[in-house]
Amino acid sequence: MAVTDIAAAAQPDALEVSVRSRRLLRAILRNRKATVGALILLLMVFVAAFPGLIANHPPQAPLYRANAGPSSSHLLGTTQLGQDVFSQLVWGTRLTLIVTLVVSAIATLISMIIGVTAAYLGGVTDRTLTVVTDVFLIIPVLPLLILLSAYLSPSVTSLIIVLTVTSWAFQARQLRSQGLSLRNRDFLVAARVRGERPMYIILVEIVPTMTSLLVASFLALAVFEVGFAASLQFLGLGNSSELMWGTMLYNAQQAAALESGNALWALAPGAAVALMGAGFALVNFAFDEIGNPALRPVRRRRRARTAA
Amino acid sequence: MPEPLLEVRNLSVAYLTETADVRAVDRVSFTVAPGEFLGIVGESGCGKSTLLFGVAQLLSPPGEVVGGDVIFRGEDMVRLGPDDLRHMRWRDFSIVMQSAMNALNPMKSIEAQFKDTLEAHGTLSHEEIQQRSAEVLEMVGIDPIHLGSYPHQLSGGMRQRAMIAMALLFTPQLVMMDEPTSALDVVAQRSLMTKVKDLQQSLGFAIIFVTHDMSVVSRYSDHVMVMYAGQIAEAARTESIFTRPLHPYTRGLMSAFPSVTGPRRELVGIPGAPPDLARPPTGCRFNPRCPDVMPECLTQDPELYVVGDAEVRCLLYAKQTKKAM
Amino acid sequence: MGADGNSDRTVADEPLIRTVDLTRHFGLGGLFAKKQVLHAVDDFNLTIHENEIVALVGESGSGKSTVARMLARVYPPTRGEIYYRGRLLNKLRSRKDLLWYRGEVAMVFQDPFSALNPVFRVSHGVTRNLALHRPDVRRDQRRREAERVFESVGLNAKMLRRFPYEMSGGERQRVGFAQALAVRPKLILADEPVSMLDVSIRAGVLNMMSNLRDQEGVSILYITHDLASARYVADRVLVMYAGHLVEEGPTETILGDPKHPYTQLLLSAVAESRQDAESISGDTGEPPKVINPSEGCRFRWRCPYAIEKCSQVTPRPTPIGSRQVACHVAVAQAEANSAAVPTAPITNT
Repeated sequence: MAVTDIAAAAQPDALEVSVRSRRLLRAILRNRKATVGALILLLMVFVAAFPGLIANHPPQAPLYRANAGPSSSHLLGTTQLGQDVFSQLVWGTRLTLIVTLVVSAIATLISMIIGVTAAYLGGVTDRTLTVVTDVFLIIPVLPLLILLSAYLSPSVTSLIIVLTVTSWAFQARQLRSQGLSLRNRDFLVAARVRGERPMYIILVEIVPTMTSLLVASFLALAVFEVGFAASLQFLGLGNSSELMWGTMLYNAQQAAALESGNALWALAPGAAVALMGAGFALVNFAFDEIGNPALRPVRRRRRARTAA
Repeated sequence: MPEPLLEVRNLSVAYLTETADVRAVDRVSFTVAPGEFLGIVGESGCGKSTLLFGVAQLLSPPGEVVGGDVIFRGEDMVRLGPDDLRHMRWRDFSIVMQSAMNALNPMKSIEAQFKDTLEAHGTLSHEEIQQRSAEVLEMVGIDPIHLGSYPHQLSGGMRQRAMIAMALLFTPQLVMMDEPTSALDVVAQRSLMTKVKDLQQSLGFAIIFVTHDMSVVSRYSDHVMVMYAGQIAEAARTESIFTRPLHPYTRGLMSAFPSVTGPRRELVGIPGAPPDLARPPTGCRFNPRCPDVMPECLTQDPELYVVGDAEVRCLLYAKQTKKAM
Repeated sequence: MGADGNSDRTVADEPLIRTVDLTRHFGLGGLFAKKQVLHAVDDFNLTIHENEIVALVGESGSGKSTVARMLARVYPPTRGEIYYRGRLLNKLRSRKDLLWYRGEVAMVFQDPFSALNPVFRVSHGVTRNLALHRPDVRRDQRRREAERVFESVGLNAKMLRRFPYEMSGGERQRVGFAQALAVRPKLILADEPVSMLDVSIRAGVLNMMSNLRDQEGVSILYITHDLASARYVADRVLVMYAGHLVEEGPTETILGDPKHPYTQLLLSAVAESRQDAESISGDTGEPPKVINPSEGCRFRWRCPYAIEKCSQVTPRPTPIGSRQVACHVAVAQAEANSAAVPTAPITNT
C-alpha cells in the first residue's frame, strides 16, 4: 500500500475552491487532451457570447444569392433561401450550447439525487427508484417523442423537457453503484451516529464527495446531448425557426441540400456538432486523469544513475 | 566467513513524479547470509516495502532504482535483463505479499495457481506438479484436500499459508515476506510465525521479513534493521536491539509497546509524525522528534556509525566510533 | 457482592449502560439457498458504569464491533434489550429522544482515513455536533467551544481549519475523539481506535483516553484485539469469542490469572516469554464463522480441556470470585477448590 501511497501523496482529493481551480488550470495546461478540449469549448463559449463579432451577416435574412458556393463574403455559402450559412452557424451556437448545458445539468442532478437516495436508503425506496429508473431506461425514445410532440408545442422548452426526461436514467444506475460503495464509509456512519437526518446525509455528506464523478457524468452526458438534440431536431421535433445547429440540419434536409449540390449547408452544422462533442469528450478524458493520478500516462524521466 | 547470499549496497529508490521527487529509500546497505532471518522493521512511510520491492526488482513506474547495487549470489540483479530475472525468480528467490487476497487469483483454484507457477518457472511433468503441490501444502500445515479450493473458500490464515507454500514451490534460497501476518489476529499470527520458523530451520532458506510490528519478529530473527524515513536508523543482532537499543528512535519504539505481563509503566511513545519524504528535514531526519536532539543534529547528516557489532545513524555516536562503509 | 458479580459496586449504583441477552443475527444466502443465519452476537450481557474504561477484547469475527454498533444504534438488535440510564432503548422513538441518546453516547472509529469526510474541514463534525446537541452553546460561541474541545484532545486550535488530508493518522484520530467529546457524552464507544495507528503514536492516544476518564468523567468502551493496550487503559476486561462473552472481570484479575482457555490462549500468543502456548496441532488460530450453530461451547474444537458437556450445553457466564467465566471446566474446578472438603478430581459429567 505504501508503494502507491507515496506516488499519490502529492495529489490530495479535497482542496479549497480557489486552490483547486488553480491546480485544475495548471493540470489542464499540462495535459494535451485537456488543453485542446478546453480550447474548443472556450471557442464555443466565445462564439456563443459574441456572435456579432464573428459573423458579419444577419443569419436569418434571405438577402443573398441562393445556394451560392463558399466565397470570401460567404465562407460557407448560402442556403436555398439566400441566408448566409456561416452566420447561421455562428449565431446558432448560443442556443445549441445553452440547451446542451441545461439538459446535461438537470439530467445529472436528477440522476444523482435518485441514484444516491436509492443507494443510501436501500430497501423499499431503493427497489422503487430502481424500477422507475429502469422504466425510463427502456422506454423507446422515438415513440415517446411522437407521443409527446402531439401534446407539446414544438419549441426549445419542449426539446429540453424531452431530452431531460429521456436522458437522466443512464447515469442513475452508475451513480447508484457509486453510492453503494460509499454507503458504509465510516464518516457516513459517524453522521448517522451523531443524529443527522437521511436527506441531510445524502445532500451534504455524500454528494459533495462525488463531485468528480458528477462532473464526469455531466461531461459525458453533454457529449451525448449535443448529438441527441441535433438528431431530434433533424427529425422534426423542435421549432425549425429557432436557430440551432439541429434546425439547420432539418432545414437543409427539407431543402434536399446534399442532392442539390449545396453540401456545405448540410455538412457544416454536423461538423460543428461533432466538434463540440469532441470538446466535451476531450475535457472528460483529461478530467479523469486529473482527478485520478493512477490513470495518468507515466512519463519516465531519464536520470543518470548515481554511484552512491 | 561464508559468502553472503544477498548483498545490497547503497540502494536508493525514488518515485519520480511530475510534481515531486520522493526518495523513498536512501542509500541502504545490508547483507543476508545463507539461512539467516533478517527482520526489517519500521512504521508507515519508512520505505521498508519499497526497499523490498527494489531488491526483488518489482518496482514499476514511477518508482525506480536510482542508485546502488543488489548482488544476489554474485549477480547484479539491477542490471540483469528481464529473461534472466525471470529465470531466477521463484527458483532462487521468491516473495510473499502482504495480502494474499491481492496476490492470489480469486478465479482460480489453489491447484491451478500452483500449476501456473510451476510451469512458468520450470519444466515438470503432470504427476510431478501434483505431487509437489500437495507436498508444499502439507509443509505449511494445510490438508492437501484444499488444493481444489478457491481463495475465498479459505480462511485468512490459510490463504496466507497458501501464499507461503507457493513461495516454497522451488525451495528457493531466499524468501522475502512483506508483512505477511498483519491481516491476521494474534493467535493466527503466532501460529503462522512458528510454522515459518520451523520451515526455515528444516529447509535452510534465508528470510527477509518486513513488518511494522517488532514483537512479531523479535522471537525469530537473527538480525533486525530499523528503518526511518527511508534510511537505516539502526541495524544489529536481535538481542542487541531489544536489550541495548542505541538510536533514540529505536528506544522510543521500545517504550511505545504496552506489555501484557510485567509491571505497568507509563507509555511515552514518540510525539509528532514521520517526515514528508518529498521535503525531509535538514540534518538528521529524526531531529524534530528526538528527545536527545543536539544543535548539530539540525545541520549535519549523520552517517551510519559502528558501535560494537551494531550500526547506528545517530550523531550521538559520531565522535567515539568509526563510520560503517 | 452484587448480582452481576461486581464486588466493589453497591446495588444502588445504576450502571450507565447495560445489556440483557443482546443478540444480533444476519441472514445469509439468496432466495434459493437454504436459510443461513450468521450469529454475530448471542446473549451478550454487558455493564458499564460511570467513569470507567471497559475493554471488549476479541479477534475479528468475534462480534465486538457488532456490539458497539448496536449500542450506537447503527442497527437494532435481533433480540435482547439495551438499557441506558435505566431507559429501554427500543422505547426511544421520537426525534427528541433519539437526539438525546446521541448526545449521551458517541462513537470513535477505527480507520482515521475514512472516518472524516474528505471534502470538509476537520471542524465540520465538531460544529455539526455542537449544532445538534449543545443548545447551550450559541452560534457565535461555537467556534470558541470547538477550539476548547480540540485543545482538550491535544490538538492546536489552529488545526480546525485544516482538511483531513493535511493531518496525520494520529491527528485525525484525535479529531475523531474531539467530535465525540463535542456533545459532552457520558459514554464513548471506541472501535479499535489505535489499531491503524503507528505504534509510536498509539501511546499518546491511549494516554488521552485515560485522561478523558479521569478528568472529563467520560466512560469508554474500548474495543480492541490487543490485550496489552487493554491492560494499559481498562478497568475491566470483557473477552469475546465467536459471538459469546467468555470471560469478564477486573483487568489485573483476568490478565493475571485467566480462567477461560481462550483467554489463556490469547495471553500466551502475546506474552513476551519464549515459550509457545499449548495448542491443538493443526490449529491455524482462527475463530469460526458461526452459521446455524448447534448447542455447546463454540471454543470446544480448539480447547485442550474440552469435556463431553462442552459439546452438549452452551456455557453461560458464571461468577467465580470477582469475575465471570463461561466455561464448564473452569467453573467445575472453582467449585471443587472452594468446597470445604477436598474432593476427588473432576470427572466427566
